[in-house]
Amino acid sequence: MDEGQENQAIITKKKPSTHQDISDELDLKIKKYLRGEAASFEDLKDRKLKRQLSVREELYGNAAKAAAKAEKWLMPNEGGYLEAEGIEKTWRIKQEAIAKEVGLVNLRNLYDIVLPDLGPYTLDFTSSGRYMAVGGRKGHLGIVDMINLSLIKELQVGETVRDVVFLHNELFFAAAQKKFVYMYNREGTEIHCLREHGAALKLQFLKNHFLLASVNKFGQLHYQDITMGDMVGNFRTGLGRTNVMEVNPFNAVVGLGHAGGTVTMWKPTSSAPLVKMLCHHGPVSALAFHSNGHLMATAGKDKRIKLWDLRKFEPLQTITGHANTLDFSQKGLLACGSGSFVRVMNDVSGTQNYSNYMNHSMAKGYQIGRLAFRPYEDVLAIGHSMGWSSILIPGAGEPNFDTWVANPFETSKQRREKEVRSLLDKLPAETIMLDPSKIGTVKSTRREKVTKQERETEIEAAVEAAKSTKLKNKTKGRNKPGKKMQKKQDAIARVKRPYLEEKINEEQNISQKKQKTSENVELPKSLQRFARKKSS
Amino acid sequence: MRMTGDAADDDSSEEGDGRHTRMLQGITGMPSEAFEGKKKRKMKDDGIPELYPESEYNPSRDVVDGDGQISIDDLLNPLQDNPGFGKLRKRIQQIENNSKAIHAPLRTADQAKVERKAAYEISKKEVTKWQQIIQRNREAPTLLFDENIDLGFSTVGAIASEFEPRTEFERKMAALVSDDKVMEAYKKDGSRLLEMNTVSVEEEKDRQSRIAKMRSLLFRHELKAKRIKKIKSKTYHRLLKKDRLKTEYSKIQMDPEVAKEFAMKQERLRAEERMTLRHKNQNRWAKRILTRGLNSQDEGTRAAIAEQLQRHSELTRKMHSMKDSSSSSDGDDEDAGSDQDMGSKVLGKAIEKTMKVIQDDDETPKSGLLSLPFMRRGLEKNKAAAIEEANLALQEYKDSKKKLENSVGSEGPEATSISGRRVFGASKTQISDAGNKVKSDYNYGSSDSEDDLRASKNGNIETQRSNILQKDVNTDPVLIQEDTDNHQESVFKDFNEIVKNPGPKTTYEVSLFVSDTWKKAGNRDEKGTNVKKSAMPSGSVRQDRKDTEKEVEEDSDTDSEGQMVDRILTSGSKLSYELPSQEELIRQAFAGDDLEDEFEKDKMEILNAENPEPEKPVLLPGWGQWTHVQKKKGLPSWMLKEHENAWKKREEAIKKRKDAQLKNVIISEKLDKKAEKLHTKALPFPFTSKEAFEQSMRVPIGPESNPATAIGALNRPEVVKRPGVIIKPIQFEEVNPHEKPEERRGDKHRSKKNKGSGGRSMKKTSA
Repeated sequence: MDEGQENQAIITKKKPSTHQDISDELDLKIKKYLRGEAASFEDLKDRKLKRQLSVREELYGNAAKAAAKAEKWLMPNEGGYLEAEGIEKTWRIKQEAIAKEVGLVNLRNLYDIVLPDLGPYTLDFTSSGRYMAVGGRKGHLGIVDMINLSLIKELQVGETVRDVVFLHNELFFAAAQKKFVYMYNREGTEIHCLREHGAALKLQFLKNHFLLASVNKFGQLHYQDITMGDMVGNFRTGLGRTNVMEVNPFNAVVGLGHAGGTVTMWKPTSSAPLVKMLCHHGPVSALAFHSNGHLMATAGKDKRIKLWDLRKFEPLQTITGHANTLDFSQKGLLACGSGSFVRVMNDVSGTQNYSNYMNHSMAKGYQIGRLAFRPYEDVLAIGHSMGWSSILIPGAGEPNFDTWVANPFETSKQRREKEVRSLLDKLPAETIMLDPSKIGTVKSTRREKVTKQERETEIEAAVEAAKSTKLKNKTKGRNKPGKKMQKKQDAIARVKRPYLEEKINEEQNISQKKQKTSENVELPKSLQRFARKKSS
Repeated sequence: MRMTGDAADDDSSEEGDGRHTRMLQGITGMPSEAFEGKKKRKMKDDGIPELYPESEYNPSRDVVDGDGQISIDDLLNPLQDNPGFGKLRKRIQQIENNSKAIHAPLRTADQAKVERKAAYEISKKEVTKWQQIIQRNREAPTLLFDENIDLGFSTVGAIASEFEPRTEFERKMAALVSDDKVMEAYKKDGSRLLEMNTVSVEEEKDRQSRIAKMRSLLFRHELKAKRIKKIKSKTYHRLLKKDRLKTEYSKIQMDPEVAKEFAMKQERLRAEERMTLRHKNQNRWAKRILTRGLNSQDEGTRAAIAEQLQRHSELTRKMHSMKDSSSSSDGDDEDAGSDQDMGSKVLGKAIEKTMKVIQDDDETPKSGLLSLPFMRRGLEKNKAAAIEEANLALQEYKDSKKKLENSVGSEGPEATSISGRRVFGASKTQISDAGNKVKSDYNYGSSDSEDDLRASKNGNIETQRSNILQKDVNTDPVLIQEDTDNHQESVFKDFNEIVKNPGPKTTYEVSLFVSDTWKKAGNRDEKGTNVKKSAMPSGSVRQDRKDTEKEVEEDSDTDSEGQMVDRILTSGSKLSYELPSQEELIRQAFAGDDLEDEFEKDKMEILNAENPEPEKPVLLPGWGQWTHVQKKKGLPSWMLKEHENAWKKREEAIKKRKDAQLKNVIISEKLDKKAEKLHTKALPFPFTSKEAFEQSMRVPIGPESNPATAIGALNRPEVVKRPGVIIKPIQFEEVNPHEKPEERRGDKHRSKKNKGSGGRSMKKTSA
């Protein structure tokens, strides 16, 4: 966590010396937690509402202040980073140089595991970064405890393993195998065989929704709820086979990269992609999302790595280079791996202008298959054809962990409680959308265009329903056929009325518009003198 | 006095006037002129012309006599000589000195209005002083009612000190306790108390005798009870019990309280029974007997078991009978009489009835619709079926009768009496018997009715159905005669449903089904192929590229498979990386050219799907084509205009899309119906602008995104009230209107904030 103390590179820790500095810093943080300005309620007419809103705002202010203070005082650790002196460049610093400077604890994170037999390895971390699942292409599955570097379980499934992913905690993981997706527990016992997924190429787990997403050989995207076991979504992408799939951690939208150079984004409740964007002039080879959800990195076979702003869907930056795999760290470092070469970039200025930060080259012939930053640690794990390695990238991980979110030192009791709590807090699949902050707001007023025919059929259906309702038998005098008839007709008229009113309204609107336009039209010269003069 | 008319023509009025003046003269003793003048003036006031024309020759009386009005002095002057005049004058002077003009009273309506106004002002003042308080409460984010909780007395002493004697007895006691003498004696020393505590001899004797009497009574009663307890006569006890029950029953009937209690008790018993199943052969004794076999037991044991079961059924039966309200009584009667001979009797009856039905069916209608040949044929068919059915039933009856006679008896019918659906009427026992027969095949030994039912449910369903039919046949012979065909048809249908005698029809069906499956299988095959076809990626230009990739991947897969199968894992050291071929490299390099075009095409497609193009205006064939002139004209202008409008609309819609400006992006505008429930349909009430609402919602208030110290305040409900706290009516207090409400809240309600602000630190949202 704190290995930036080399002789070339110095950690500069800003220490607010004066009271002013502290308050400024707090103000900045408060602003962050206020999440934007309040709408001006000064011009609201409703005094009661005004008062309520002002009280609410005050509460928000207090909460933001408390949050800022908590952040200031409860999260004391600041991430380290490499800083070059003079003509030194940070990317020239080798791992060996870093290794000389760091403590023993961190030195343990610098290693290569050579497993030449079981082919390229893929990796996945739990959200706390404590455990790592490894999957060898040729059937080697394992879970490693990363703190004491002990192998918890290792098994050979005897068939192709394409991807492994942890489920909500380290007790369960899923592996995409030759024909189906399997779920195993920590002891290596096969718990489920998920046949519907088919031969999945890539797996992702949406941890807030408890959904296991997979994309298979035929380009089909599956979502399965792992609590109840039902298939939530099953979509044909129609864009061919792909193994480029990543979840946006901000809104749980799944991004897929396709051979046509397009990236599509999916949610489990719609069969069409939410967004389809042409990113590259060649197949998309890798994809990664920044944890704030605004930034996407794509790599294509056209030798480009692009950074996209997902709010505007525009490219921010284009970097030349290949990448088979991409990954964003918690602090926003971007790691690209191609061949046997790893390149880590960061945005120094915080303006999403990524520049080279560190480089690392593996032994010749090692083909990097997968890069994964370890959460809450300054460690980058590399899965390659000869096993996996781990290198130190200062400033990659979040230095402060919140035990309520992810606790690397979790006891089993805490884990159990957290499991229950997360199950209670499970979000329904519908809540996945491009902008989840829109939940709870007013529904967009955009009406779907109703054609005449549709409206007519609607009216007909309503009338039919009105006709078919049985009238109650009333008392003697009120049960005459004439009265019954009348009642029926009344009911039909009542049903029709809203449609007619709507129609009339529309017509009125149109006529008003017409009037307006006709007013604007210039009269012929001869008639202009009869025109009503506008009161100026 | 008459005030009307012209004085000229009216002499009678003048006469009257004269009289009046004379009268006044008499009273006052003044000359008549004084009065005349007044009269004239008055007349002038009223606009009445004078007696004589107004002219310089006729000066008015006013001029002649000065002011013609009568003053109080005029009235007083004649009284000068009278005694008490001075007093009177003094008073009048007083009055004159502080005289005020008294206004005429207003009309009542006006007066009321004025009063109301005044009252309104006062009450307004009274009410407005509350306004601040009310406003404060209205605007407060939370109302707290847990302040000033007065729990009342805290100690027994405090409660006792507040005690005030109210009833007669209490007062007496208080008088004794707080007697001065006693208090004094108590304070000084005990000797005085002893003196005061003297009891007379008579009183003591009286008390002793009373106690002795009570003791002797108790003793007698005890003796009696002992004697009764020793009595061994069963009849006596039975009678006693009967008596007791009788009195209880009468009590239940008389007193609603007791009845309620009884009902509660019964309810409790039933609940206990249902929970423990104590009488359902659960205890060790019953189990042992059942394992040994009921048949090998003696009569008494069997009876005991039966009784136990009876009790169980009674206790659980209530539950059923509660549901089928009124007719339960007769059903119960049936149940009660479900012993052997009763059963056989009923069976006999049933047999008789069935026979009768069979005989009755023989008659056929000779005329009308039913006499038509095809109808008759149908009828005959039906009848045959019915007879067959009836015969079957008869057979069953006989069987069950035999069984009844042979079997140990009571358990069967009893067990079934609880079972399943209740059917009322005579057929009830038949059903149960029939059911019994089926059941007996499964497990005879245990009389566990419900379990039996479950075990032999499918069997039972059939038999029950047939029984229902039989019931129809039995109970409604008249009905059958009335509309035979109808009934028999139903019988026939049901009979078909019950697959008891597998006819050719069923086999036919089976064969049909078989052929169906054949077809289905064929379909499935076709589908399968279809699926396969569709599964193949059908891109036009892209396909080859994809295919090559796919092949590469596939190959690697298969390779690894082969290795796995052999379990030889040596090839891993080889690198699977191969340089891509020249062709592929070229393809990749120049791939971008068509990609953009393709993407644009895709976008257009999606745009068209989401905002469809308007249809081209078309005339009906032949319409407006009579002459070449019309043809030249082409489509009518309104059609063209409409088309144009539609186009414009579409263009606008496309322009409004989010991806209108983004060339390489398609953002779906499809509405997600499932996600719609996550939005509000309309603005919530007090809000009028969407902006204000959405901005007020922007900050999350959950524990995930706020420190624990802030959550409580953010999520506090509108009203905080502890259960049991009495909400008192609002009380007046001075409020400074310019004071900030928050401060006030702070000092007034020392609310227990930050209750849970323990070790829980801040949390971040991570998704």
